[in-house]
Amino acid sequence: MERKAQARAAHAAMSTALGAVMLLGGALGASAQDKTEVTFSYLWGGAEGAALEQIITDFNASQDKIVVKGVSSPDMTKQLASMSSAKGAFDISDNFASNIASWANQGILLPLDEFGLDTADFPESAMKQLVVDGVLYSVPIATHNFQLVYNKKLLDEAGVTPPTSMAELADAIKKLTKVDAEGNVTQLGLGLTDISAGLKTLGYAHGGDWNRDGKPTPTDPGFVEGVQFYFDNVVAPVTPAAYNKFVAGFGPYMSDQDSFKQGKIAMVFEGEWRAKFNTEAGMDWGVVQVPGKTPELNGSTWADVSTIFIPTNTQNKEAAGEFLKYLISPPAMEKFSHVLANLPGRLSLVDSATYDDLPNFKVWLDALKNPNTHGLPPALYMAEYNADLASAFDSVLQGAQTAEAALQGVADRTGSYSQ
Amino acid sequence: MQSARPKPSEPTGRALLKGLAFASPFIIGFLVLYLWPILASGYYSLTDFSLFKAPKWVGLANYERMISDAKFWKSLYNTLFFTFVGVPVDIAISIAGAHILNQKLKGQPLWRALVYLPSIVPAVAAGFLWRWLLNAQYGFVNEILRWFRIPQPNWLLDASWGGISVIVLMLWTVGGTMLIYLAALKNVPQELYEAAELDGAGPLRRFWHITWPMISPVTLFQVIVLIIAFLQVFTQPFVLSKDPGLGTQTATGPGDSMLSYSIYLFQNGFTFLKMGYASAMAWVLLFVTLAITLLILWSAKKWVFYDNR
Repeated sequence: MERKAQARAAHAAMSTALGAVMLLGGALGASAQDKTEVTFSYLWGGAEGAALEQIITDFNASQDKIVVKGVSSPDMTKQLASMSSAKGAFDISDNFASNIASWANQGILLPLDEFGLDTADFPESAMKQLVVDGVLYSVPIATHNFQLVYNKKLLDEAGVTPPTSMAELADAIKKLTKVDAEGNVTQLGLGLTDISAGLKTLGYAHGGDWNRDGKPTPTDPGFVEGVQFYFDNVVAPVTPAAYNKFVAGFGPYMSDQDSFKQGKIAMVFEGEWRAKFNTEAGMDWGVVQVPGKTPELNGSTWADVSTIFIPTNTQNKEAAGEFLKYLISPPAMEKFSHVLANLPGRLSLVDSATYDDLPNFKVWLDALKNPNTHGLPPALYMAEYNADLASAFDSVLQGAQTAEAALQGVADRTGSYSQ
Repeated sequence: MQSARPKPSEPTGRALLKGLAFASPFIIGFLVLYLWPILASGYYSLTDFSLFKAPKWVGLANYERMISDAKFWKSLYNTLFFTFVGVPVDIAISIAGAHILNQKLKGQPLWRALVYLPSIVPAVAAGFLWRWLLNAQYGFVNEILRWFRIPQPNWLLDASWGGISVIVLMLWTVGGTMLIYLAALKNVPQELYEAAELDGAGPLRRFWHITWPMISPVTLFQVIVLIIAFLQVFTQPFVLSKDPGLGTQTATGPGDSMLSYSIYLFQNGFTFLKMGYASAMAWVLLFVTLAITLLILWSAKKWVFYDNR
């Protein structure tokens, strides 16, 4: 009898426990079901992805109606393919400003005007690329520009002060370039970790523009002069063969084998994200604004923008819009840009003390307000144009063509671009 | 006593339906996954199409544009260079390697496994491996050349060596072809060699008059399969042409020497959103492949020997 009673009690306890678990599960399930799930697919990974996940966690904690699920997916082709179907795989995502005009023209980006965003705080150089035919299609979460970063130790050893004019830059390159007895380059005065970004920056510093008034202008005289400057001062003195042999030994970007970290290049045009990497790598480094061909051109650079957009095929437009507003709100943007050492997409954050712990960051921050910081106009042809420019730059660095001839080749192809 | 032969059953509607039902996985798969995309790409090749907007009929404009597109011709030239240099070298190495593997060597199964091993390594992984092997500063290939005092090219950043690098990487998987040739060599009757030896034929004459004709059907098959593979090459140049310093994908290599036809087709379709032009390029590649294959099949009458004739 006693055993039976014990068994009954055990069954009752188990049933109660099971019932409680089911009830709790049901309650939790109902709670999750009540919330609208927004999928945020982002191109970032690693530390950047982790920073975004923290922001997503903060947002989710503040919400009782929306839950955001972050997915790191660095494949841009997959991102584009997902937007071609009736029901997309994500509700909100990021990309770069150069793709926005083309994608807006394809009708795959949701116009953001209906969300009533205040865009007055966004830099003009960034907004220029995100508004297409008067319609806002994307918003900046971070901006970037390029300045002249240098290795203090190498400059000190060569007795070179950071250049402030194009003539000084040419002189510094000469003094900082080293070649051994066999003709092998052992150190470059001015290197390119991103060929396209570096040569475009030199074009602006010579008063040129590779994309004027919404038209590709590869043969713009200042742009041609900037590209030729690099060849004449960096490549030609050591010969193209020796230059390319040396470059072949560059390790992966921002790794332990990074060419700037290794002291293989003394100066380089770099974005603000370098501030964090250089410091963490224990480098003795500095940065100055890009020297111009004339004093008026000092500080010439260009702005690239990391943007957030909502695809047309989102199933949760309103919820995605709410999350977008949160992402670009000053606190979230400040947190995100600081962790990544990226420039904020809001002018009101330029003077924030948050960035004070990032060494030399002010040079890049100040450029956000500099009129010599160029924004790119929205253009449908950017992807094709950039691919052609990359081929032309390579041809110049190979010594196969002059800058004028190579860029004329690009000009000959621009007729077939999407307009 | 003669047993009654079963009367063959007449095909009935029911039997036909059953047959179709069993074959339906293939039929549906073929119609949906093969025939429809083929027909659709034919239609898209005559349109201005970006994947996202409705196709707009442009007739033959995409095909006409190719005539004046310098990169189209560059990519075609590169691909034909890969093919017409790579395929003969692949065949030559395979036949030579198969002869070596056909000898009575110690540990022969191990050698055979080793030559086939690269074929099971994923192409992307192999590409990254070869980026290091071919590195002009630190690569093992140049280190070996240095031992023998042979000039060391800048494999990945010199326009005149970019195409050769792609071919080298393609040839790394030569082991698959080699093993097929090994099987072919084992099928050559030994008495033919014995008779030739008695007649005083040396190794070269035995190869030219016995081996080559006897393995020629295999060669015909291999040539066609390899040509198709080389004409469609994508992964090898795509991985090799990654910018060494930044890691961004230029996919064209020095002087566009690694811009293969498939890479340019991919760029047009998925980067420049010119799916109509990419579809037209796909059809041109099909016709180029078809023309070369038919030419080889036509020429086969003169150099392929079938011993059952």
